[in-house]
Amino acid sequence: MIQFENVTRKYGTKTAVADLNLEIPSGQLFAFLGPNGAGKTTTIKMIVGLLRPSSGTIRLCGHDVTANNGAANRLLGYVPDVPYLYDKLSGSEFLHFIAEMYAMEPQSAARKISEQIEAFQLQDFVEDLTESYSHGMKQRLAFAAAMLHDPKVLVIDEPMVGLDPKSVRLVKDLLRAKAAAGQTIFMSTHLLPIAEEIADRVGIVDQGRLRFLGTLDQLRERLATDETSLEQLYLNFTAGDQAAQKDLVASSAREPLPKQGAGS
Amino acid sequence: MTGASKSLEAELRRPLSESDEARMLWRARAKMLATSLRQSLAGSRLRVSLVIVLSLVFWYGLFRLFHSGFEFLSTTIDHPVTHAQTVQAIYNVFFASLMMMLVFSSGIILYGGLYCSSEAEFLLTTPVRPERIVLHKFQEAIVFSSWGFLLLGSPMLVAYGLQANAPWYYFVLLLPFMAAFVYIPGGIGAIVCMLFVHRVARLHGHLRTVIALFAILAVGLIGWSFLGKTEGNLLTPLWFQEMLGRLEFSEHRLLPSWWLSSGLLEAARTRDNGSDRAAWAESLLFLSLLISNALFFRVVAVWIGARIYRISYSELRTERARRRPSKDAWIDRLIMFCTRPLPIGMRLLIVKDLRLFRRDPAQWSQFIIFFGLLTLYFANIRRFSYDVNYMAWVNMISFLNLAVVGLILSTFTTRFIFPMLSLEGRRFWILCMLPIERDTILWAKFLFAAAGSAIPCCLLILLSDVMLQISPLVVAIHQLTCILLCLGLSGIAVGLGAKMPDLREESPSKIAAGFGGTLSLVISAIYIVLVVLLTALPSHFYLAAIQSDVDPFWVRTWLVGGICSACLAGLMATVVPMQIGRNAFRTLEL
Repeated sequence: MIQFENVTRKYGTKTAVADLNLEIPSGQLFAFLGPNGAGKTTTIKMIVGLLRPSSGTIRLCGHDVTANNGAANRLLGYVPDVPYLYDKLSGSEFLHFIAEMYAMEPQSAARKISEQIEAFQLQDFVEDLTESYSHGMKQRLAFAAAMLHDPKVLVIDEPMVGLDPKSVRLVKDLLRAKAAAGQTIFMSTHLLPIAEEIADRVGIVDQGRLRFLGTLDQLRERLATDETSLEQLYLNFTAGDQAAQKDLVASSAREPLPKQGAGS
Repeated sequence: MTGASKSLEAELRRPLSESDEARMLWRARAKMLATSLRQSLAGSRLRVSLVIVLSLVFWYGLFRLFHSGFEFLSTTIDHPVTHAQTVQAIYNVFFASLMMMLVFSSGIILYGGLYCSSEAEFLLTTPVRPERIVLHKFQEAIVFSSWGFLLLGSPMLVAYGLQANAPWYYFVLLLPFMAAFVYIPGGIGAIVCMLFVHRVARLHGHLRTVIALFAILAVGLIGWSFLGKTEGNLLTPLWFQEMLGRLEFSEHRLLPSWWLSSGLLEAARTRDNGSDRAAWAESLLFLSLLISNALFFRVVAVWIGARIYRISYSELRTERARRRPSKDAWIDRLIMFCTRPLPIGMRLLIVKDLRLFRRDPAQWSQFIIFFGLLTLYFANIRRFSYDVNYMAWVNMISFLNLAVVGLILSTFTTRFIFPMLSLEGRRFWILCMLPIERDTILWAKFLFAAAGSAIPCCLLILLSDVMLQISPLVVAIHQLTCILLCLGLSGIAVGLGAKMPDLREESPSKIAAGFGGTLSLVISAIYIVLVVLLTALPSHFYLAAIQSDVDPFWVRTWLVGGICSACLAGLMATVVPMQIGRNAFRTLEL
C-alpha cells in the first residue's frame, strides 16, 4: 500500500507536486499519467526516498518514507526509466549483489535468481558484463533485480521503454500477475495503450495537481463521451477547462474504490 | 501464505547488518576491479605496459631530482642541526601544501560521488544505510585524491631515506605513515563538503555567490601573506630568515603534516651513540597519532553522513534553475562577430563549447585556480627586475616561467580539451543530425582550444616579462613561443582525443586519466620542453653575447635557427596529431 497525505514538493518558487492525497491499496496496479513536467518523476522520486516532500507524508505499508527510509526501502522494488547497472559486473553478479543487499539467504537467493532469469529470459546474456547490454536488456535485468526480493510495493518509471514486443508482453503479464498476488504497483508511463490494458486505476496529474483519479469507465462517464481509447480520453481531458477538471476530481474522490482487475 | 513463504518474507524484511553491508560493497568493488584489470591485461597489454613504464620513469625522475637536492643540502649545509632544521622545514612545507591540496581535492571528488553520481542515486533507493553510501564514496575519494600525493611524496621520502642512510624500518614505515596521513585531510574534506552542501545549498543564489567571493578573497589574502614581497634580496640570509618565518605555520604541533614529517624524520634518524630506540619509539608515537586521528575523522564523517546526507541530497535539488535570458550573452555575440570569416557551422560549435565551458563550474573554477596561481606568482617576481647584474638569471627565470605556463596549459588541455570529442561522441545523435562535416567539428574544437588558451597565456607571459623588465626582443620571442605552445598543445589534445576517444565514459576527468589522456600529457610535456629549449638556449647566449660586446653573428644565426626549428616543431605538433585525429574521427563508428 502507498499512502500520500497532503504531499507537496517545491523547487524554489515552483510547486512540482501540490497537496497530493492518494491511497493505492495492495493488489492494485496504478497508472500515473500526465504531460511532461507534470510532476510524475518528482512523485516517484519522493516514493523511493530520493527527494523529501516539502510537506506531507508518504507511507509504504505504514512506514514513513522520510522518517523510516530503511524499512520502507526494504519493502520497495524500483525500476527507473534509465536503470543504473555496474558496468564491470555481469547480470548474474548484479543479481547476487542485489540479493545480498536485501539480506536474502544464499540458497533462497540462488533459487529466486534462477526464477527471475527464467521469467525475464535473461539466460542468453546474464553472464556477460552489463556494459555490453542494450537498453532493453538492461531494463529486463532491472526488472529482475527489482522483483528478486518479492517487494510489497513496486514503483516503475516508464516500464516499456526500450523493450521489444515480446518483452513488453512479458512485463505486462508479470505486472498483472504481481498485482493479482497482492503487490502494489505504481507505474508512470506515457504509453497510454499499456495503461489502458493493465491498469486497475488511473491518475492524471497536470502542473503538480492530481486532476483525475479513477477507472477508465469513470473517466469516460465523466467526460460524457463515447470515446473508448484512453489516449483520446486523456487528450480530451487535458484539453478540457479547469472547472470541468475540478468537478471530476471532486466527484471521483467521493467514488468508492473499484474492484481489483484491469479496467474494472 | 505458506510457512515457507512466510519465512522468506520474514528474512527479507530484516536489515543487513553493518558489517555485512560493508562486505557486500567491498566484494562488488573487488569484482569490478578484478574485471577491469583482466580486461586491460587481455585487451591492451601495450597500453598497460606503457602506463607502468611511464609512471616508473616519472617516479625515477622525481627521485633523482630529490636525491640531488638532498645531496646538495647535505654538502652545502654541513652543520648537523641546521641541516636537520632545513630538512624538517622542507618536509613540513611540502606536506602542509599537500595536505591543503588533499582537503580540497577529496572534498570536490566526494561532492561528485555523493551528489552527482548515478551510483549514489541508485544506492539511495535501496536499503543501504546512508552512512554506508557516504563511506563507500569517501573511500573512492581518498583513493582518487591521494594517488597524486603518493606519486609526488614517495620519491622524495625514499630519496631522503637513501641519502641520509636511514635504517630499514624508515622504509617499512613510509606506507603506513602516508596512508594514515592521507585519511585525515580526506576526512576533513568530506566533512566540509557535506556540511557545506547541507548549509549553503539552502541559501539563496546571491548569498551563495557572496560567500564564495569572501572565501576566495580570504584564500587570496592568506596566500599573499606568504608569497608577498620580502625585505631581503633573493637567497640572502635575510631572505632565508624571512621565508622561514613565513613558513612557521607549517610547524604547528596540531598539524597532521607536522606529525607526518616529524614521525618520518625520527624514523630516519641514524644510530647515534649506539642507541636509536628513542627515535624508533618516537616515530611510532607519531604514527599512532596519525592513525587515531584518521579514525576519528572517519567516524565524524560517517556520523555526519548518517544524519545529513539524505536530507542534503534532497535539498540540493530544491533550488530551481534560474530563468535564463532569451537573448545571447554578450560574449557569444562577440565570438560570433570575431569568427565571421569561418563557416557558420564552425562558429556555432565554438560558441556552444564556450557556453558549456562557462556553465560548468568544475571547468572554469579549475581554470581560474590554474591561472590565478600563476598570476599571483608572476606578480611577486618584481624584485628581480631591479638588479641588472642578474640579467642572465632574469632571462632564465623568464623562460622557466614560459615553461611553467606551458606545463599548466598542458594539464588544462589534457583535462578539458582531450575529453571533448569523447563527450561529443556520446551525443552522437546530434552529430548525425547536423549538416556539417566531422572535420568541421574537429577544427572547431581546435580553434576553441587554441584561441581560448592563447589569450590568457600570452597575457600571463606578457605580465611576467613586464615584471622582469625583459628586453623587447625576448618579449617577442616569448609571445611567439607562447603561440606555438598553444597551437601545438591544442593540436595534440584534440588530435589524440579524436584518435583515442572513450565513448562509454561520461566523466571527463576519468577520460583524461585514461591511457589517451596520459599519452597526451606526456607528449605535451616533451613538446613544451623541446620548444622552450629551442628558443631559450639561443636567446640566452645571444643576450650574453650582446652584454659582453662579443660579435653575436653565430649566436644570431643560432637564434634564428632555433626560432625556425621551434616554428617547425609547432607546425608538426599541430598538423600531425590533427591529421591523425581527423582520419580516425572520419571513420569513427558511433
